[in-house]
Amino acid sequence: MSVTNIKTYRRNVKMKTTLKVIAQQVILAILALFWLIPIIWLIANSFSTQTGINIRQFFPEQWTLDNYYNLFFNTDTVANFPKWFENTLIVAIFSAIVSTMFVLMVSYAMSRMRFKMRKPLMNFGIILGLFPGVLSMIAVYFILKFMGLTDHLAALVIIYSGSSGLGYLVAKGFFDTVPKALDEAAKIDGASEFMIFLKIIMPISKPIIVYTVLVSFLAPWVDFVFARIILTSNDTNGFTVAIGMYNMLDRNLINTYFALFCTAGVVVSIPISLLFVLMQSYYVEGVTGGSTKG
Amino acid sequence: MNKIKSFFLNIPTKCKAGLNKTGSFFVRIGKEIAGVGKDFVSGDIFVKASLFVMGIGFFRRKQFVKGFLFLLLQFGFIYFILKVGAPNLAKLGTLGTVEYQQIWSDELRMNITNDYDHSLKILLFSLISIVIILAYAFVHFRNIKVQRQLQQDEKDGKTIPSFITEVKIFFDSKFHVTLLSLPVLGIIILTVIPLIFMILVAFTNFDQYHYPPLKLFTWVGLNNFKLLFQTGSSSVTYAYAFRRVVSWTLIWAFFATFLTYIGGILLALLINSKYTRWKKMWRTLFVITIAVPQFVSLLLVRNFFATQGIVNTLLANWGVTDWLIQNGFVSSSLSYIPFLTDEVWSKVMLILINCWIGFPYVMLITTGVLMNIPKDLYDSARIDGANKFQVFRKITMPYMLFVTAPYLITSFIGNMNNFNVIYLLTSNRITSDQLLANANASDTDLLITWLFKLTQDYYNYKMASVIGIVIFVISAIFTLLAFNYTIKSDKESRFQL
Repeated sequence: MSVTNIKTYRRNVKMKTTLKVIAQQVILAILALFWLIPIIWLIANSFSTQTGINIRQFFPEQWTLDNYYNLFFNTDTVANFPKWFENTLIVAIFSAIVSTMFVLMVSYAMSRMRFKMRKPLMNFGIILGLFPGVLSMIAVYFILKFMGLTDHLAALVIIYSGSSGLGYLVAKGFFDTVPKALDEAAKIDGASEFMIFLKIIMPISKPIIVYTVLVSFLAPWVDFVFARIILTSNDTNGFTVAIGMYNMLDRNLINTYFALFCTAGVVVSIPISLLFVLMQSYYVEGVTGGSTKG
Repeated sequence: MNKIKSFFLNIPTKCKAGLNKTGSFFVRIGKEIAGVGKDFVSGDIFVKASLFVMGIGFFRRKQFVKGFLFLLLQFGFIYFILKVGAPNLAKLGTLGTVEYQQIWSDELRMNITNDYDHSLKILLFSLISIVIILAYAFVHFRNIKVQRQLQQDEKDGKTIPSFITEVKIFFDSKFHVTLLSLPVLGIIILTVIPLIFMILVAFTNFDQYHYPPLKLFTWVGLNNFKLLFQTGSSSVTYAYAFRRVVSWTLIWAFFATFLTYIGGILLALLINSKYTRWKKMWRTLFVITIAVPQFVSLLLVRNFFATQGIVNTLLANWGVTDWLIQNGFVSSSLSYIPFLTDEVWSKVMLILINCWIGFPYVMLITTGVLMNIPKDLYDSARIDGANKFQVFRKITMPYMLFVTAPYLITSFIGNMNNFNVIYLLTSNRITSDQLLANANASDTDLLITWLFKLTQDYYNYKMASVIGIVIFVISAIFTLLAFNYTIKSDKESRFQL
């Protein structure tokens, strides 16, 4: 091959690559647009002057910020977003504290300690996981009712964190990867199991602690069905964000509150999506149980 | 296929092994009780007395705090049994006989409520009592063993540990007990007891016609199971609805799992291809769709595709609706596309909308695994002259299937119970199938949403419980099958050698 031939060949390859790159970007852009259409519609509607559902155009004819003002400062008996936000925040904080403790305790014990009941307990946990959560929640409702706790925020904290110990597998996967040699060295130095847990393992477990806190903090924000079973009263002051927003779309209310629903959707989605995007790598570890490590 | 066959062929041997295990479990309990008996006979007066007063032996060995705590426990137990346990357990056989009544009282000159039985309370408190009695019996009998050991230690001149030393053990060699007790207690109260309760309800007639406190309910044996499995016997068509709902649940779970799985992997490949620039941006754009809470995005999508919704309006303006009507995809009596109202349309739409959520989700999860596929596998394939499709089919997919098999199983079961997608999108649709409607079900209902509707809208707890048990059985079968089929190595031992 002569020098010029090689040059044309190289230029051709480069052209081909550039074309492929452009093609890929175009395909991805089309797909992304398709995927984001509902989200764009959500945001567009939150700025609409039209409050009802009878929308004839994708983008609103007139744009306004009134919905955002009304959402926070103009509450009524149907839409009381600040109160819902406050309720959900309280529930989320408390259930995050309790759940994180429970999950860390169970996963640590199951991962790093050996005792007779370990395997039976783990198998039992798997069996419990095969029952639909809704089923037990129906009975939990009766238990809470006899305790006079339904429609109380404490009830929500209890249901979100009480049996959180069952979700120990992700954290266990993390503890499994911490070398045993650390414990043994500490044991030789005379540390008790408690000291090893507190002073050796916990300080190096920050990633999994952060993950567990975030996951349990998010649960009350995104859960719909459990809150629906436990909160049976019609008093909107006791609602969580999810229940309140579901209620806004009631057949009789949707024509007045649809734009407000979209506004609330935007407001509540921003922090949640930010958290989610930030912790996506932890999240993946969680779902695949560390199998990405290969 | 062979493996699946051998799985079923193995069931009898497995059952036998299971029975043997249960058998040996009872033998062990028997031995344990015999050991306690021996300890009781050979023990001194304090050991014998601790059969009746639990803490007494500890006082003899000068473990006063422990003795006091055990005493307190025993009194607490006796108080509980007298106050709650006995009255409820006595009525467990009938679940109550005295119905709620308002009686005119001449003294007070007003209606007063009689001393009625509350079936639900009787069942629940009996269950709690049984759990507490079993736990207490365990502690009580073990205590005799402990007392006998203490007597022996004292005779041998060993030092009896002080209370503080014993507490310290719970932070050292018995630390797992400290760690596990609270979480396990939470699980027992909020998962185990409720589940047993619901299983028991499946054998009663607890429904809207037997709803305490106004009415009693009682045991009906296997009647509810017969209702769900036997066709034709009654006007309420649970059996028909059950068959319809189960088959849709399985079809749904299959498509929801595998379409999103393959689509998600393709999306991940596209984003991570060497021709893609700004990978992080593309990934984030897709992830945003799943980062928005489902109750927001799904409720929005429901209105997006509503009968008078924006999509229908736009498609009508563009003439797509007319074209669909002319070609018979939409019934000519309609002027809109029945996205979430027609049976077939809504089922297809549900699966498609689930893809909308599922692709980014699977993309997110599988990206890491895809990056980990050894590069030399691809290189050798290319040298052998494999084209892109062959590489995907013969290298990428088998590798992915192997690594993400556990995820696929959990995802299949998760989709079977995918409450959010189905309920938030189609909870307000009305079925045209009267037989389904008679059983309070709808064409797009999964078992889990049917169960939810039965309890929340119709107070039909008896049938909901039976359905819950069925969901458990189906999940268990799939889990067993899949674990048998795919998982060979125990992961934890790979890390902890």
